[in-house]
Amino acid sequence: MDLSQYAELFLAETREHLGAINQQLLEWERVPEAGEPVGGIFRAVHTIKGMAATMGYADVTDLAHRMENLLDILRSGEHEVNDKVFELLFQAADALEKVVESSVSGRELDADTSGVLAQLDATCQSLVPAAKPAPPPVARSVVPPQVAGKWVHVVIDPGAALKGARAAVVLKRMEQLGQVNTVQPPATVLETEDFDGEFGLRIETSADDNVIEEQIRTAGDIAEVNIGEVVGGGVVERSEARTRHIRVDLRRVDAMMNLVGELMTTKDRLAQLSAGRGDPPLDDVSLKMSHLTAQLQSEILDARMTPVWQVFDRFPRLVRDLSKQLGKVVEFKVEGKEIELDRAILDEIGDPLVHLLRNAIDHGIEPVAERVAAGKTPSGHIVLSAERERATVVIHVSDDGRGIDRAKLLADAKRTGMLDEDVDVLSNELLLRVLSRPGFSTAAAVSSVSGRGVGIDAVATSLRTLGGGLEVRSVAGEGTTFSLRLPITLAIVRALTAEVGAERYLLPVTHVAETVDLSEETTTSLEGKDAMLYRGEMIPLLDLRKVVLLPGEGHGRRPVVVLQIGERRSGLVVDALAGQQEIVVKPFDPPRGTLPIFSGATVLGDGSPALILDTGGLV
Amino acid sequence: MSHSVLVCDDAIFMRTMISDILSQAGYEVVGEAETGLQAVEKYKELKPDLVTMDIVMPDMGGIDAVREIVAHDPDACILMCSAMGQQALVVEAIQAGAKDFVVKPFQPSRVLEAVQRVLG
Repeated sequence: MDLSQYAELFLAETREHLGAINQQLLEWERVPEAGEPVGGIFRAVHTIKGMAATMGYADVTDLAHRMENLLDILRSGEHEVNDKVFELLFQAADALEKVVESSVSGRELDADTSGVLAQLDATCQSLVPAAKPAPPPVARSVVPPQVAGKWVHVVIDPGAALKGARAAVVLKRMEQLGQVNTVQPPATVLETEDFDGEFGLRIETSADDNVIEEQIRTAGDIAEVNIGEVVGGGVVERSEARTRHIRVDLRRVDAMMNLVGELMTTKDRLAQLSAGRGDPPLDDVSLKMSHLTAQLQSEILDARMTPVWQVFDRFPRLVRDLSKQLGKVVEFKVEGKEIELDRAILDEIGDPLVHLLRNAIDHGIEPVAERVAAGKTPSGHIVLSAERERATVVIHVSDDGRGIDRAKLLADAKRTGMLDEDVDVLSNELLLRVLSRPGFSTAAAVSSVSGRGVGIDAVATSLRTLGGGLEVRSVAGEGTTFSLRLPITLAIVRALTAEVGAERYLLPVTHVAETVDLSEETTTSLEGKDAMLYRGEMIPLLDLRKVVLLPGEGHGRRPVVVLQIGERRSGLVVDALAGQQEIVVKPFDPPRGTLPIFSGATVLGDGSPALILDTGGLV
Repeated sequence: MSHSVLVCDDAIFMRTMISDILSQAGYEVVGEAETGLQAVEKYKELKPDLVTMDIVMPDMGGIDAVREIVAHDPDACILMCSAMGQQALVVEAIQAGAKDFVVKPFQPSRVLEAVQRVLG
């Protein structure tokens, strides 16, 4: 059998398990007497071992096996797990990840794992001197066991109540038939609500498969039973296990989204053509078409949505490692993991978040002595949270550290001429501008972690590219919060259609605060530039005609679109507004000489193309 | 001859309901118990073919009652009556020797299916 086709699936699934291992190691390290994490880690390592053995990745199998030996000893709960052991387990997890990647890619392993292997064995020996380490599994898979058992896979009816209890009934019945050796997940999991109703067990019995199946089926609420022979370490099942998910290349979903975009345009065209005709059957078709397209669009958007934990889950480990490296004590909390974002956006926010977390640990959180002297808790706190806010998702990175030294920043900014001498208060908005100046750094010295002055600048730029924005709040002595505001999806945005002369432009609503009418009473000029009084504040005014270099003046009552990022606002004057609509953002490859003020293009209902203004850039 | 049943539950409402479901299906309810202690005593006295057992009862809970009854009669047919969220307790009861379980709120058909499974 050609196994290479399974390599990608192996890698994807193994990465999930590796993520789980890291996370549970962190939990376990925090509460060493807790029993659950070690069980979870053991299961994950065990699963990786089984999969790797099937794939023939001997290095992975060997390392996983040795980890499993140690974990098996530790999960008895009889041994105290000290820092050294935790450090070893973290190292082993890292090594496992490397060995997995190199095995799958077929590249040479660029790390030496022999040290970790030896330490794992040595630690096992020191904990249980009498126990010989179990022989490596390679031998096991070559020589089939003398006693061949059966592997029974049971799926409980998804609608059944107390699936774990139902599984217990099945196990009890199996114990009447023979010796049950292995249960996966372990019996303890069956007592929890996490159990999803699928389990496997290994039984050594003389009973016929029919008898086994009959005994299981009559236990009630059983949806499926599969019985296979156990051959060596692996299992030959008689039938394929059910799959509920398929993995789809994101490019395919993008292609579908694009087609739906075309379909929407065509649908609008149909609606316009049928509108003037007074032909009821045609109107019906047009209406039906409109409903179906909307449904299709929402299904595809849903398929693109991914919970943020897929990115967040690697951060606890990162924060742990960084804080150890920097000698800080940090308690890290993640909230709102289940919030969903478009996969394409999620893929882009990992690096910005790493920047912000590094900054928080390096610059925000004070050393323990300094915290205690300031009357704070010895350990610093960093919270990473995601929440839905109207049509956006906001991600906050908060620390309770020393806060940003505004006085020093203000002085620096004045000295370099970035701010005028007469500015005497650094508002949050100015603070962000100073922080996101390219090359800016508050760090006295460049550490290996942060302070190279690429941080906030890079973060702000990547957010702008995504059509989002960055905000900062900082209170001296209390801490700093960076907030990333993101659109939920890149593929479809709600936009205002703005008209100047005969031209139409689209303004994504992400940064639109509201629209007001331009009136003479409120317009004025500030330092020679047009400005208007908006909610008691002077905001600069831009004329869209001038922005797009359209000759001529606008006349009559012209609307103003108030754009806002954080506390920064500006007003965009247009000739007319022609309502809001959902538009499909098309890839945009502007010809040379195009004004750098557009973020994309779309096709309107009447089939004409229109450009999307980069509203974030106009503020 | 119809099968005899001992119904154990501390709530009269539940006992009545279970008794009704079973009698209407042709089973003979030979006794009722309000506590685990009573359940054990009545089991020894009545030797029923089937016991329905609530988990939470005063004076010895259902799980301990299962242990006592099974110690006395390893072939006892006991059906646990549980509420949602009592997973761990039901698992414990089954490990202690109960044969099956039904989950409240009861649907007569589910109860009868379980009874038939237990009585084999």
